Amino acid sequence: MTAEHTAISGWYLVLRLAGPLQSWGGHSQFNRRDTQAEPTKSGIIGLLAAAQGRRRHDPIEDLLGLSFGVRTDQPGSMLRDYHTVSDLRGRPLLSATVNAKRTQKTTSPPKLTHVTRRFYLQDAVFVAAVNGPRELLESLRDALYGPAFPLFLGRRACPPTQPLLLSPSDDNPQTLWPGTSLLDVLRQVPWQAGEAHRRDRDGHRRTTLPVTIDDPSGDDIRADVPVTFDPHHRDFTSRRIRQEWVVLDDDTSSTREDDHDPFALLGGDR
Amino acid sequence: MTSKIYVDLHVIQSVPPSCLNRDDAGSPKQAVYGGARRARVSSQAWKRATRLAFRDELAIPQNKLGVRTTRISSLLADRLRERTKIDAEAAGRLSTALLHDLKISEGKNAGETAYLLFFGWAQLDAIVDLVAGQVDELVALAADALAKTVADLPVRETLAVGHPIDVALFGRMVADLSTLNVEAAAQVAHAISTHPAEIEFDYFTAVDDQPRPDREDVGASMIGTVEFTSATLYRYATVGMHQLRANLGGDDDAAVQALGAFIRAFAKSMPTGHQNTFAHRTIPSLVSAAVRQDQPVNLVSAFERPVRSQSGLVAESTVQLARELTKASKRWGATPALVATEYDRPDGSSPDTAEQLREAFGSPLGLDAVIRTVETDVRTRLREIAPR
Repeated sequence: MTAEHTAISGWYLVLRLAGPLQSWGGHSQFNRRDTQAEPTKSGIIGLLAAAQGRRRHDPIEDLLGLSFGVRTDQPGSMLRDYHTVSDLRGRPLLSATVNAKRTQKTTSPPKLTHVTRRFYLQDAVFVAAVNGPRELLESLRDALYGPAFPLFLGRRACPPTQPLLLSPSDDNPQTLWPGTSLLDVLRQVPWQAGEAHRRDRDGHRRTTLPVTIDDPSGDDIRADVPVTFDPHHRDFTSRRIRQEWVVLDDDTSSTREDDHDPFALLGGDR
Repeated sequence: MTSKIYVDLHVIQSVPPSCLNRDDAGSPKQAVYGGARRARVSSQAWKRATRLAFRDELAIPQNKLGVRTTRISSLLADRLRERTKIDAEAAGRLSTALLHDLKISEGKNAGETAYLLFFGWAQLDAIVDLVAGQVDELVALAADALAKTVADLPVRETLAVGHPIDVALFGRMVADLSTLNVEAAAQVAHAISTHPAEIEFDYFTAVDDQPRPDREDVGASMIGTVEFTSATLYRYATVGMHQLRANLGGDDDAAVQALGAFIRAFAKSMPTGHQNTFAHRTIPSLVSAAVRQDQPVNLVSAFERPVRSQSGLVAESTVQLARELTKASKRWGATPALVATEYDRPDGSSPDTAEQLREAFGSPLGLDAVIRTVETDVRTRLREIAPR
């Protein structure tokens, strides 16, 4: 790469976000914990901050300057998880009504479990590109190779699978991606979908994937930029984004002999 | 030199027809992975089973464990009364005054906090220690004077140190007072089956032992269905030893002991859903512990392509897990510092397979030996990295 090229282009950190479950909460309050259909900026900044060992009340201003784009390689589907809370002593939970002394009554007939609903994305794969000053990206990359806290995809019970970091070079897994824009980089990264998802699309030589990228003049808004993760002052602001598509040549589409599975034709095991 | 130590746990465990963890419709929990529907057991279900195993199976004494309750105030009052023989009313007053400094929102019921607080029994005793010598003087004071006197006592600080192992492992979040937060050292993933799993319905009838004599036999007096599945599960957890040690006040020995207890309790515990219907308690077929100084590595990707096997799901799952572990080392450079594994070599496996397994997991050890090996290794490594 020439010095001139380096000067006009930027460097990008590229993450592969995959695992059985992920959950990227937008507005999660009370008993319903939602997930968005793709990773949020706050989720990715949280993941980077956790890798560096920042605590929740530590400043994150330098990370807020990063620009961010995400590509949906395999959209997955929504999973609603039924989650209950009960009193370890086996006592009935309290009801919403009060008695004459204004103390809360226990539920009658006794109710022993309280329900919350948690939403996850199951079987999804995303590629996220992050742009910023090169030294910062390098320090983030090093942190991701040796994270201070275990990393997770939006919720602690959702550890990522490997490889979390993608590299343009097989020889040196630690290199950043060169590129002229977030979109340019998201066009370069090979399709990361799993085998089953690819098989569904066999025969197609090209694939079209949706991307969402930071763009100050974009016409859409996402309210997922953290101001701070301090639990006392948790707050979000918004960013402008643009939604596009990238078309990839699927040079990896499987030509390999699969195990003989006659039921696959019938969509068995789905 | 890196300052992190993670211990990854990989477990393969078969469960017979069972319904360990069900949703609101009574179906066993599920998830799709690699395009195939799997049986799932949520992380919170297995974390609770692990916590109960600390108490019931490992018989860890109460003063080393935590309690999760809204009743910290009345528990503290009870402890005060036991130790100092003051009456209930005085103990209640003193307990309220001592905890006032925490500024934790009160619940709707008098003496209860608005949410469950997770703290150690030993921490309660340490608060009692703060006042045990001067209880009589304190209870004689008027409300204002009492509040002023106890305000100087380090109650908050007492709850911020000396955490029991379950708080240190699973963390604590106190909305009102972030200095009491404890960042969890353990991360537990949802368990999923390594293979496509079907949900089945068990149709049952129940016959009345004492039917009404004036009626003809009507057959069943009750009919219903119970949903169940059977699965070979992949279970994963990781423990950040540097975090665990920090949570335990920088004590290497306490951190290593907590790790040993966690491995044993995680391996041997089982959620109890529909336990009496299915008697599903099994023991794992494989427990592998990997000590890492780079990053935790979740190997569930071994089963992204679901296992389909003629020769047994456990055998094939074990081989796929071994391949993924080797691949993580070779392709991503994520080589564990140490691997210790309890497993059976699958019956009739070829010498090649046996070699593959040995390369990934080492020679098979018993669970006790796995725990001892990991404890010894981690103790040495902890000495080499300075506490933060």
